[in-house]
Amino acid sequence: MVWHDFAAKRRSTVRGVPQRRRTYGAVAVTLLFTAPLALLVTGSLREPGLPPVVAPPLLPDDPGLTAYQQAITHGDLVRAAANSMLVAAVGVPLSLLVASLAGFALARLPRLVTGTVIALSVLAMMVPATALLLPRFVLFRTLHLTDTLVPLVAPALIATSPLYPLIYYLAFRAIPADSYDLCRLADLTPMQTWRRMALPQVQPVTAGLAALTFVLTWSNLLDPMVYLYDRAAFTLPLALRALAAMDPHNQPVFLAGAVLTTLPTLLVLGIAQRRFLHSYAPEGAS
Amino acid sequence: MTAGLRLRGVSLSRGAVTALRGIDLAVPRGELLVVLGPSGAGKSSLLRAIAGLDPVTAGTVAIGGRDVTAQRPGQRNVSMVFQNHSLLPHLTVADNIAFGDRIRGAGHRAAAARAAQAAATVGCQDLLARRPHQLSGGERQRVALARALVREPDVFLLDEPLANLDAELRLRMRTEIRAVHDRLGTTTVYVTHDQSEAMALGDRIAVLRDGRFEQVGTPDEVWRQPRTRHVAAFVGAPGMNLLPGDGPLTLPGGPATGVELGVRPEHVTLGGTPPDPLGEVERVEVLGEDALVHLTVGGHPLLARVPAAARPAPGDRVGIGVAAEHLHVFDTATGERVPQPTAAGRAG
Amino acid sequence: MDRDRRQLLLMLLPYLVGLVALVLLPAVATMAMAFTESDLIATSRFVGLANFVELTRDPAVRAAVGNSLSYLAVSVPLRLVLAVGLALLLHRRARAAGTARVAVLLPGAVPELAYGLMWLWLLNPIQGPVNQLLLLGGEGGRTMFGTLPPQWLTDPEDARAGIVLMSLFTIGETFVIVLTARLALPPEAYELAELEGARAGQVLRRVTLPLLAPVLAVLVLRDTLMSLQASFVPTLVVTGGGPPPYATTYLSLVLYQDAFEYLRYGYAAAVAALMLGLTAVAVLIQWRLLRRWASSGAVGVEVRRPGN
Repeated sequence: MVWHDFAAKRRSTVRGVPQRRRTYGAVAVTLLFTAPLALLVTGSLREPGLPPVVAPPLLPDDPGLTAYQQAITHGDLVRAAANSMLVAAVGVPLSLLVASLAGFALARLPRLVTGTVIALSVLAMMVPATALLLPRFVLFRTLHLTDTLVPLVAPALIATSPLYPLIYYLAFRAIPADSYDLCRLADLTPMQTWRRMALPQVQPVTAGLAALTFVLTWSNLLDPMVYLYDRAAFTLPLALRALAAMDPHNQPVFLAGAVLTTLPTLLVLGIAQRRFLHSYAPEGAS
Repeated sequence: MTAGLRLRGVSLSRGAVTALRGIDLAVPRGELLVVLGPSGAGKSSLLRAIAGLDPVTAGTVAIGGRDVTAQRPGQRNVSMVFQNHSLLPHLTVADNIAFGDRIRGAGHRAAAARAAQAAATVGCQDLLARRPHQLSGGERQRVALARALVREPDVFLLDEPLANLDAELRLRMRTEIRAVHDRLGTTTVYVTHDQSEAMALGDRIAVLRDGRFEQVGTPDEVWRQPRTRHVAAFVGAPGMNLLPGDGPLTLPGGPATGVELGVRPEHVTLGGTPPDPLGEVERVEVLGEDALVHLTVGGHPLLARVPAAARPAPGDRVGIGVAAEHLHVFDTATGERVPQPTAAGRAG
Repeated sequence: MDRDRRQLLLMLLPYLVGLVALVLLPAVATMAMAFTESDLIATSRFVGLANFVELTRDPAVRAAVGNSLSYLAVSVPLRLVLAVGLALLLHRRARAAGTARVAVLLPGAVPELAYGLMWLWLLNPIQGPVNQLLLLGGEGGRTMFGTLPPQWLTDPEDARAGIVLMSLFTIGETFVIVLTARLALPPEAYELAELEGARAGQVLRRVTLPLLAPVLAVLVLRDTLMSLQASFVPTLVVTGGGPPPYATTYLSLVLYQDAFEYLRYGYAAAVAALMLGLTAVAVLIQWRLLRRWASSGAVGVEVRRPGN
């Protein structure tokens, strides 16, 4: 694994806690946190449609992928996945763009403007998401945009979460002031400074936020539930909900659907964790 | 093409803090001017005012005879080296040096060639493919110099560029900076708090204190004829001794009130005979060839720099001699130098 | 100067538009709607405080307030303790520590609905793996502790515990933040403590926790803000707010049902106002507590703004 571990290089043990004990702890943590996912997968490998039995074996005797076939066909998951990908492909880059532009502007604008926008962002984080559904629903219905994917991409305008522009703001502020002065001496516009100087330096932040934004966008259930009625427009979580509602006792099928819905987020997280944990050595460290 | 620099009545305030108070300064084309002062004197503010990074609250800045006060930093054709040798961590050395050229639309090949040439000027041509975190402090400073040079600026600004380097490297780099300046002849303003660096580098030295110039002159002038008591105390290693005019040391005409007398440690001789005042030796620091002797005379501390071979021991009582021509006189109220007949007769 | 300022404002604009159009104006509209009776189809009617009066008598709301507050009081501290414990366990380089760090992140990345369905299966009282594991080593249908296995989805207490249990596995973000903060602490502080002969417990209490305090304070506030909403999808998917009548009915579920199942928008807006009010009160209380600790010296370090 590629975590930078400055402190650990110094000594391999603390007083009283040898490294071996830490390894046991780490293994236990790994088992505990991967167990739910592992059980999700084994549950999905069972033969679907069997009558419920008490305490079925945790590892099915006869594992198979029948549940996956049924989930995909009954739930129309391929079309739903395509819709979800479309939303993510448009929404995630747009969201990162909005977040990084806003974060950069906040880092460079006068204190008064910055303070006001930050206060509004914090306020926005306090508002319950369910409280916003209603007026947003009225808004999108008035614009005749319900049953389209537009309302699902729209949260990109608030950077998916008002927290993300603030994270970019902190990252851009951490760049030495000299670097900004340098760009002013070279007569760069703020846009050029953002693209050529600032953005390349915060790549780990971008990787981390890209993963988080993707997970949030891909997982979004609340918005599709309110805006989408036409099955053709269903996103993956919504199609999965319909699938689970269709036959709530056929566990292997909805578990298989859950596995399929989860795979892309784990994949993205796996790719991103290597990127957002890799960063340039801080200046002055040698 | 390099050009002269002219500041008229430049003031700069940030909030309640006034950093510069009515600075007038003319730097002729090709000169290397060192701005010397303690921290907080406004040295960096002066550079930032020249560069346009901080807007001036009053006055004008002119480069090569053209008023640039209203121009953006990028339009003034100045380049700057920062104390933290700010390099962009995501770019190689070559790309760092070529950064400005590329922004201004130069082709990749042309920019790379110019970058290589600038790198050769400061002796870092072997580092072009490296990244900043692979460089030592001195190497980074060279790269920052190259990046500033590649622009062929009208005015070259350096903000304590050697402050973060160790002593040996600082000495070597200052010689190299002077050599590069002699070769290129770019008008340069160099800021430092290190008076020996200022003496070694500057065509002229401008001593800044509290947002004002106390004195602008050649290193020799600033050392021999400090215009204020602050300049006297700040320039020199260590700075000048300052004693009351009616204390243990007196002018040839006898005790005087309302003035302070200054004498450089180098000009204090020990072992004089009465009527020279007696001083008690508190401590002796041997600095190789010389020794620094801390004395108390008439209740006032006094420093003397004497050959190490002729040094007294702590506790000794020694006579203290100062030649009249080495006495500087300052007005206690204003801190300004009071011209002396003896000095006037000698000054050329 | 002017050109730069204009361009910076332009860069901020998309976010500002989103913030105003998608959050702030809708929030204001919701607050206004709380004083009306509205179904979005017929015209709405101003009813003054009638919705709020009804709130106080609504058994679902009463149950939900209690449930939400107890969830807040249990889940937030447990999540924080767990995240800090894991971060301190895994911050040193040790074999398998890197893998464990990634493992902690995984459950939080599972889409909410899939996560809910997963727990629906895991907590199934008869077939679910959790109870099967609890029954290992027990005899005659009892767990290894000799108790009857929990009836996760039918017993009110067990169901609420199940919702909290689900929340404990999604601490990835909090964990990463604590871990990063711990790695950024100066090694000198620890070397100093070691030279003074401090034991592990003393190091934790006198060095690590005080130094991490500002970060932990922010995390507690953030978790509180989110906890009133975090219970929504699990309850919707896993328990449906039950066991009946309202064992796991939280405010977010009441709001959703009133608005989109019973189509009582005005009343739902009043519930939203209540939630916002509760969140604000919870944050305010914590803020004051933190301030008091800070001034009494228990929290030794001011929150430092990066870059200053």
